[in-house]
Amino acid sequence: MRIYEVFLKADGKEEFRHAGSIEAPTDELALVLARENYTRRAEGTHMWVVDRENICVSEEGFIDANLNKSHRHNDGERVAEWRKSQRNKKSNG
Amino acid sequence: MVKSVLSSAIKEYLLAFADDEHLMGQQHTEWIGIAPFLEEDMAFASIGQDELGHASMLYAFILEGSPEIDAFIFNRKPEEWRSCQLVESNHQNWEEALIRHWCYDMAEDLRWELFRESSLPELVLISERALKEEKYHRRHADALVENLLTVSASKSRLMQALEKIVPEVLELFSSIPGETEAISSGLVSGKYCDKLPTWRSRVENRFGTLDPKLFTTSDYQARTKRHLDFAPLYGRIREVFLLDPKAVW
Repeated sequence: MRIYEVFLKADGKEEFRHAGSIEAPTDELALVLARENYTRRAEGTHMWVVDRENICVSEEGFIDANLNKSHRHNDGERVAEWRKSQRNKKSNG
Repeated sequence: MVKSVLSSAIKEYLLAFADDEHLMGQQHTEWIGIAPFLEEDMAFASIGQDELGHASMLYAFILEGSPEIDAFIFNRKPEEWRSCQLVESNHQNWEEALIRHWCYDMAEDLRWELFRESSLPELVLISERALKEEKYHRRHADALVENLLTVSASKSRLMQALEKIVPEVLELFSSIPGETEAISSGLVSGKYCDKLPTWRSRVENRFGTLDPKLFTTSDYQARTKRHLDFAPLYGRIREVFLLDPKAVW
């Protein structure tokens, strides 16, 4: 048995989303079993099943946050404050 | 729909199909929780629910809009059922349940195909809906069987089950009450047993050539005699209904 990850995409502009996983011995069985296990209530219009072995996994720490570059974590609050003060200045003066 | 458009012979003919679908669905769904692995457990019961859905469409059609569908199904006497032995027999081995699923679904689309150009448009729609699902039932059954046939221990169990099930399938094809009138009225395009060679070639393409004697058994019950397993099965089906037969669900 192999483990497959199941992804579903709803109709329209929705992206594929992870729905869960499934155990199956072959690709064809993974497809038919995923169909019965994950799509019985019209959860999507497209499905991918991906053998977990074929997923490239980054090692631990590979994508940890870079703590010394705070400018990359700007939430826009300071800019919004500055713009608000500029607006107020204009309307007051 | 206008009352009593359907003759009693036509109703008998459709009832045989509805009862087969109902009991096949029931048998499959009883594997919930005990099928060999979780994914298959869910899939098998889900396919069973599809068959129950087909039965429900046919019963509604036969009863021509009557709201008494549940009462009709659950209050019938055993001799009023028109199901075949294949769907009444209780196969408790997984290999037999799987082979029956394979055999039944390889025969079911051939049966729905007969309605494709039916004189009654509603039946054409019902058959189209069913055929859409049947495609996946066959893929499911065939993918499992194909995989298991590669393991010699599994193969011998499957082959043994097949020899037991094939004679029951012959009755499914051959003894449908009301068939003559169903054909002459344009309800269906032909005799179901004419599809038997197609079914047989599907079987032999998948499992190899079988003993021809398997295909000549003719001990048909004509769908009027119930299998010994019917009574307990009917008991399980009616268990909840009988708690309060007047309840509205």
